Amino acid sequence: MKMSVLLATEKKPLIRFDMKKCAFCKICEFSCAKFHYGKYGDAISRITIIRKSPLMFKCLICTRCEKRYCITACPTKALSYKNGNIVVDEKLCNSCGDCVKACPFQGIRLHPETKMPIICDLCNGDPSCVKACPKGALSLVWLPETRK
Amino acid sequence: MKMKYSGYKGKILRINLTTKKTSTMEITDEFARKYLGGNGFSARFIFDMVDPRIDAFDPTNVVSMMTGPFQGINIPTAGKYHMATKSPLTNGFFDSISGGHMGAEIKYAGYDGFLITGRSDKPVYVFVDDDNVEFRSAEKIWGRLTSETQEMIKEEIGDPKICVSAIGPAGENRVRYACVITEYRAAGRGGVGAVMGSKNLKAVAVRGSGTNEVADPEKFEEWMKWFNEEVKKVPALASGLPTYGTPVLVSSINNMFGALGTRNHQTEFFEGWEGISGETLKKNYWDKDTACPACPIACSKVFSDKSGKWKGAISEGPEYETIYSLGSMCGISDAGAVIKADSLCDEYGLDTVSYGVVVAFMMECYQRKLISKKMTDGVEFKFGNDDAMVGFVEKTAKRIGFGDLMAEGTLRAARIIGGNSERFAIQVKGLEIPGHSARALRGMALGYATATRGGSHHDPRPTGEYAGVSDRKAVEGKAAWVIGTMQMTTIGDSLVNCHFLERLLGFTLTQKYVDMINPVTGFGYTYNELVDVAERILDLERAFNVRTGIRRKDDTLPRRFLEEPIPEGPSKGMHTDEATLNRMLDEFYELKGWDKRTGIPTKEKLLRMGLEDVAVVLEKL
Repeated sequence: MKMSVLLATEKKPLIRFDMKKCAFCKICEFSCAKFHYGKYGDAISRITIIRKSPLMFKCLICTRCEKRYCITACPTKALSYKNGNIVVDEKLCNSCGDCVKACPFQGIRLHPETKMPIICDLCNGDPSCVKACPKGALSLVWLPETRK
Repeated sequence: MKMKYSGYKGKILRINLTTKKTSTMEITDEFARKYLGGNGFSARFIFDMVDPRIDAFDPTNVVSMMTGPFQGINIPTAGKYHMATKSPLTNGFFDSISGGHMGAEIKYAGYDGFLITGRSDKPVYVFVDDDNVEFRSAEKIWGRLTSETQEMIKEEIGDPKICVSAIGPAGENRVRYACVITEYRAAGRGGVGAVMGSKNLKAVAVRGSGTNEVADPEKFEEWMKWFNEEVKKVPALASGLPTYGTPVLVSSINNMFGALGTRNHQTEFFEGWEGISGETLKKNYWDKDTACPACPIACSKVFSDKSGKWKGAISEGPEYETIYSLGSMCGISDAGAVIKADSLCDEYGLDTVSYGVVVAFMMECYQRKLISKKMTDGVEFKFGNDDAMVGFVEKTAKRIGFGDLMAEGTLRAARIIGGNSERFAIQVKGLEIPGHSARALRGMALGYATATRGGSHHDPRPTGEYAGVSDRKAVEGKAAWVIGTMQMTTIGDSLVNCHFLERLLGFTLTQKYVDMINPVTGFGYTYNELVDVAERILDLERAFNVRTGIRRKDDTLPRRFLEEPIPEGPSKGMHTDEATLNRMLDEFYELKGWDKRTGIPTKEKLLRMGLEDVAVVLEKL
C-alpha cells in the first residue's frame, strides 16, 4: 500500500480545484475514464467539470465530506469509508441510486453498464486527473480528519 | 452494428421535425473509410438528401450535426463538432466547426451524428438521451439569449452535465449569418443557426452514457507521447497561442505584413492596432485561459473591460478574426467595444466575422453617401463609431429597423443599396471575408475565389504563407499549394480536428496526418488514399454547388481586391488582378481535374474518386 493511502487513516484527502486556473478542457475527465476503464466517456468519469458562466466553473467530485450523506442514504449498507475513500461493496449494492441523489456535491454517478456507484478513489493514491491537468488546477491535499 | 474500424458508432440519428419521428441509419465500414466523418459525411448526406435548388429555409433543407472518428477520445484539439447545411448566405454546401463538448457527447450517446429535417409547427428543442429522443417545447426559451437557453435547458432536464447547442434570437429571426453556440464556442459561419431557426428548432441537447475507444491503444499512446513532445517545440503552439490566443496575430499581420483589413479594406494598415493587439488584450483585459475539450493548448481567452468605456463587458474571445471584423474593419481601436460586441454576438447568436464586415460595409456606404441617417435609424454610421457597431447587434439579431437590412449580409444588402456598392462588399459567394488578406497573400486570393464556402479562411489556410513556407507573392506553383491546404482542412474538418495543428503536422496534407488517423481508426490508410478521401469530399461539395448554379464565373473576388492595390504599408501595391487570378484558376482546375471552362468536376475525375453516381447526376445538367 502506498504511503499516501496509509496517511489517509489520519488525514482526509481532497482533490482541490482552482477555478482560476481551470481551462475547462476536461482532460481530467478523459484521464479518469481512461485510468479506470481503459476507454473514454464522461458518464464513466468520477470527476466532472461544468461551466456556469465565462469565469464560473465547478468541479463535481467526491469531497470526502464530513456528513457522508451517501453512507447514511444507502439502504443496503453497501457504502463505507476506508482509507480516505468511499468504498462500494458491490455484493450488497442494489443500484437504487439513493447515494447519487443524496450527494450534494454530485460526486457519485451510477456506471451506465454495471449500474454500480462510481466514486473518486484517488487512483491508488496518485490521482490521474491531477497528473493530467495541463493547467495545474487540480491538486491532492490532505486535511485534518475532524470526524471520528 | 459493430464496426470493424474504431472511432465510429456506426449509426446516424435522423430527426424529422415535421412528423416528430426519428430513425437511425447505419454507417458501414466502407462508407467510413471513404468519407472519414464530419465534413465528408455531411457532404455525402447533403448531396444525397437536399435538393440544391431549394431555398435554404425550405423545410426539406437538412441540418447536419456530425462527428468524426476523433471525438470523445482525448486527442488534443479534437474537442469539436461539425455542422453543415445548405447555406442561406452562399446557397451552397456549407460546414461550420465549433469547439465544445458536443462532439464527444454525440459519440457517447451512441451516434456518429444527427441529420435534422422538416419544420416543427411550434418552437421545440430536441433532447437526445442515448436511445431516447424527445421533442420538447421551446416556447419558454424562444427569444432567449444563448447562455440563458443552455442554462434553462439544463435546469429543465435537471442535469448540469448535459451538452446543449443553441441558437439565439438571430437564428430565430433567420439572420443569414446566425450561428449556433455551444458553451461559449460558435459554429459561427454560414448561417447554420438561421436554418435551425427556420425549422423552429431552438436547441439540441445531448446526454450520452457510452464510451469511445481507439483501434490500437499502444500505437495511440506512442502518438500521444510524440505529440506532447513535439508540440513543445512549435513556438506558436507552445507559447504564442497559449499566452495570447489568436489575438497574437494582430500586431504581426498589421505591422509585418500590412495585411490587416481596415475600414472595409480601404487600406490594410490600421494605425490604431495597438489598442486591439494581443499584447494589449493580455495586459489589460485578460481574465483566464480556456480550452476546447481535451486540448492542452488552451488558446481561448476570457477578456473583460475593467476600466474603460465598456467597463463590465466580458467575453470568451474575441478571437483574431473578430478583432479584425469588429475592430480594424470598423476603424475601432477600443478593445472594450470589441469585447462588448463579441459577447453580444455570441448571446444573440450572430457570426462575429460576418456581422463586423457588414457593419464596415455599411460604414463605407455611409461615407460614400449611399445611405443616410434616414435609413440608419438616425445613427451616424461613421467609421470608428463604436456605439453604432455595438448597438446594432441586437437590432440586427431582431431585424429591427436598419438591422433588417444588415441581417441580409453584405452581398444582398449591396444589391438593395445599389450605387456600385457591390464592388466593395467584402465577400465571396455571399460569405464575408475574414481577416487574412486576399491582396497580401496570393494563396488566399485563389483560395477564397475557389473555396466551397466562399470567403472562408478554413478552406485554404493563410498560415503557411505567413510562415514563409509558400512565398506569399508567388503566382507560380500557388494552385498546387492552395489545393494542398484545402486537402488538409478537408481532412481536419472530417476528423473534426483543429486546423491549428497545421504548424505541427503540415500546412498541406502530409504523412503526419496519416500517422495520426491510423492508430485511432485502424484504416491503415496510405498517404495517397487519404489524399483521395480529401479530393472526393471536395469534389462532392463542388458537385453540390455546381447544381446550385456555381460555375467558374463565380470563382472570383470582390472588385476592390481585383482592381485596387493595397495603398500603403509593407504590402503596398500588392493585389491579384483579374488576369493573374485567371492564370491561377486555369492551373487550379487543371490540377483538380475540373473543367477549365466551366469549373465543373470532369467525369474522369469523379470516376477516379469513386463517385460514379455523382458523375451521372452532373451529366444530366
